[in-house]
Amino acid sequence: MQPTITKEEIMQVYPKVAATMADALGCDVEDIVLDVSLIEGLDAESIDFLDMVFRLERAFKIKIPRGKIIDNARGDLTEAEFEQKGVLTPVGLAQLKAYLSEVPAERFREPMKVADIARLFTPETFCKLVIMAQRETKTA
Amino acid sequence: MLDSGLAGRTAIVTGGSRGIGRAIVELLAAEGVDVTFFFRDNVAAADAVVAGGAARGARIASDQVDIRNAQACAAAVGRVADRCGRIDILVNNAGMIRDNQLAAFADEDVQIVLDTNVGGVFNVTRAVVPHMIVQRAGKIVNVSSVAGEKGGRGQTNYAASKGAINAFTRSLAVELAPRKITVNGVAPGVIETEMSQPVRDLAGDDVLARILLKRYGKAEEVAYAVWFLTSRFADYVTGEVFNVDGGFKME
Repeated sequence: MQPTITKEEIMQVYPKVAATMADALGCDVEDIVLDVSLIEGLDAESIDFLDMVFRLERAFKIKIPRGKIIDNARGDLTEAEFEQKGVLTPVGLAQLKAYLSEVPAERFREPMKVADIARLFTPETFCKLVIMAQRETKTA
Repeated sequence: MLDSGLAGRTAIVTGGSRGIGRAIVELLAAEGVDVTFFFRDNVAAADAVVAGGAARGARIASDQVDIRNAQACAAAVGRVADRCGRIDILVNNAGMIRDNQLAAFADEDVQIVLDTNVGGVFNVTRAVVPHMIVQRAGKIVNVSSVAGEKGGRGQTNYAASKGAINAFTRSLAVELAPRKITVNGVAPGVIETEMSQPVRDLAGDDVLARILLKRYGKAEEVAYAVWFLTSRFADYVTGEVFNVDGGFKME
């Protein structure tokens, strides 16, 4: 089961997430639209993802465990149910699509490699990450 | 006067209470760097370094940290970041030897050297790098050893740890270059410190015969190389391991 995150919750954190991501990427905050692919649309590199995570942790006073996006996406599935030899299983792909519901369907490739998942990430993905981390902080 | 660009920077130096680390701490502090050094157990030696800094009007602070403990490192680095607002320089200097013939090692002789010399570098660097990535600037210098490249009897554990540091230095330089963070190493030869005393006592003549300059190095002479690599003069140097060894020959 994927936890539900409402559009309202996302719009609540989005302005601060966008400002933080713009700082990390060195781009204008207007470029951080909710559904742009960070890698393909904004030329983000892997170190930029770390930069964004560190900045979001500071800005929201949360802790985002490393590698959390993929873990969140995997949900209740075991690793073997989710992927085989670096390629998502049909069940895994369905799960990923459900988790990354903000990403347009045509951006998912088939077969989808685990290594390519990051290419799908958008600012909305990071909004969700922040919200999940906030929830964990509250329950902790 | 040339301006090294170091004044007003903040630095963490591990293993700063004695030997090479102390010389690094004192040189950087003399250059106007706000230095916090980590030390493991010698409180008296650490206090002396801090008091000496205060007497000279330098900014030197100490923090007792076992760098083998990742959580302790994260907490200590967090304290420096909270106090100073940023971390410009990291010198991974802390290291130890536990020399013996390989076949005579106890399990602990291997583990403690690797945990300190390699694990400690990972623990402290992992805590510092997020700050440098966000700053888009930083200089990391790892104190390696001539033993990382050249063979020495009774030093398989130490040599392996320092070879690892050289490899670590090169890989991290690649990783952090997009954020203009430089990562370099300094590889001292035999330096007149407490740590090298047993080696010098045991094999002094053999060791001196291999040093072109026919003398041991001084801790300050290593510190000058670290100073260079942390200064703005080395902005275009990364992924290098710089030998300060008096011309140590391979047999």
